[in-house]
Amino acid sequence: MLELKGVSGGYGAANVLADVSLSVGKGESVALLGPNGAGKSTLMAAITGTLVRRGGGILLEGRDLAPLASHDIVDAGVALVPEGRQIFAPMSVRDNLRLGAIRLGARPGHSLEERYAFVFELFPRLKERAGQRGGTLSGGEQQMLAIGRALMSAPRLLLLDEPFLGLAPLIVVEIRRALAALQESGLTILLVEQKIDVALAMTRRAYVMIKGRIALHEESGALARRGDLANLYFALAAKAE
Amino acid sequence: MSDILELLVSAASSGCIYGLVALSYLVMIRPTGIINFAVGEWAAVGLFAAFFLLTNRWLPLPYALALIAAVAFTGLIGWGTQRIAVRPLVEKGAPILGPILALLGMLAIFRESISLIFGPDPHNLPAPFGLRQVSLGPFAGTPRDFFIIGCTAAVFVGVWLFFERTVWGKAFEAVALNRKAAALMGINLRRVTVAAFVGGAAIAGFAGVLYSLTAPRDFLMGLPLAVQGFSALVVGGVGRVEGAILGGMILALAEQLTARYADQIGIPSGMSLGVPFLLMIVFLLARPTGLLRPKEAAA
Ligand SMILES: Nc1ncnc2c1ncn2[C@@H]1O[C@H](COP(=O)(O)OP(=O)(O)OP(=O)(O)O)[C@@H](O)[C@H]1O
Ligand SMILES: [Mg+2]
Repeated sequence: MLELKGVSGGYGAANVLADVSLSVGKGESVALLGPNGAGKSTLMAAITGTLVRRGGGILLEGRDLAPLASHDIVDAGVALVPEGRQIFAPMSVRDNLRLGAIRLGARPGHSLEERYAFVFELFPRLKERAGQRGGTLSGGEQQMLAIGRALMSAPRLLLLDEPFLGLAPLIVVEIRRALAALQESGLTILLVEQKIDVALAMTRRAYVMIKGRIALHEESGALARRGDLANLYFALAAKAE
Repeated sequence: MSDILELLVSAASSGCIYGLVALSYLVMIRPTGIINFAVGEWAAVGLFAAFFLLTNRWLPLPYALALIAAVAFTGLIGWGTQRIAVRPLVEKGAPILGPILALLGMLAIFRESISLIFGPDPHNLPAPFGLRQVSLGPFAGTPRDFFIIGCTAAVFVGVWLFFERTVWGKAFEAVALNRKAAALMGINLRRVTVAAFVGGAAIAGFAGVLYSLTAPRDFLMGLPLAVQGFSALVVGGVGRVEGAILGGMILALAEQLTARYADQIGIPSGMSLGVPFLLMIVFLLARPTGLLRPKEAAA
């Protein structure tokens, strides 16, 4: 589904990403782990076209996304739930969702009504609060809105950047249940996480990024059985020196 | 009493023009953050284009058609301006001051081109209405005043509906709130910038056409109008469409009151030219977000 080949890129002249290669199969869930500042969010920006300077191959079912603008990437079926939710706070829940569907015309076989129904079934709380301003939702509800908004574009590949950050355990359970339902329905997911245990429980394979490079690639189950999980980032960083 | 009501009508009609210029700024500032002082020059472009279309020897157009064509032409000028002075800079990641300065350069080009083509003399659109007084309820004014007020109301309702009721209006708003998140939705930032500049220019051009109905104007009309429109924007606040018209009205009323009563209290009436600056300073100090708070702040 998604294949990255030697992706590099950054903000100024210096590269944040160096020769990143990874792949996500159709219907698969893959984790991208790494400590603060490793470049995980930067990689998400490169995939979605919001990083100005990016190079290498970003292939979605063989089609190179690297030269495309972000709206064309949405048309191709990629949606990102960005770090920190980034909802449009003064707008209602419904308007936030509506904007998520702004390119829906490019996704044949989907309608606005069908998307609303899909998101509201996944997150009934959003339906109850459809007229409420996004900014007045609780943190967990805002995260649901960010995920719902991304799903409004009927993506084939969903990218999630630290969706559980700062959320209470009960809400985490609720969102994980929703994500599990999406996985069941065959959606392809790339999950960015810092917390290794959460990410490994939800995915089949995992990549670990250290300082803009992929330092490790393992089956999630095998990685979870490693004894040095608590020190994993530290150990990998030391090895990379 | 009838004196006051008459002053109100005439203030309302200048307030409408300031409000339109403020609206022109606003539709560009909201999504792009760019303050475009060339709006006054765009108003001049609209005026002189209308003048040309109405009075040329070869194909003088009927009144309504000439106005529409002049507004459309100004929109086109807005597109060109954006293409030359905004897009290349924004896409190279220049700081916001870059396009603002480039647009000031364009301002000079517009002004000099108009003076080359039309000369330094004031021009006046042929008046479509006589100068007789009409009254609407207790309000008395010229048909021209009521025409300006009616047209402005229509433009404001249209723009308000665009922002509040259409998904593209929401998209503009989304870009203003969070550019990156808007891009992630698939909103085409380049297209929003184009729409903002074309729409802003058309509104400014229309303001210029209406402005010329009130007095003959020459090629230097742009900058004072740009300042008045900007003060109206500062007074009303950039957050909301309604703020632009409110600011325009307050500014016009303040100007007319100074012009009429200033010398009675010993201030030369020429000081009314300073009113926009004075109001702007007062509001920047006392209420930097303008009278109407933007919705973000209210949330
Ligand atoms: N907008 C920006 N401009 C310049 N540098 C940036 C920008 N955003 C991130 N960086 C830098 O790029 C590097 C990678 O940051 P990034 O946000 O991708 O890390 P991350 O892996 O997502 O970290 P976290 O887990 O804390 O979210 C960091 O050194 C950061 O300082
Ligand atoms: Mg990050």
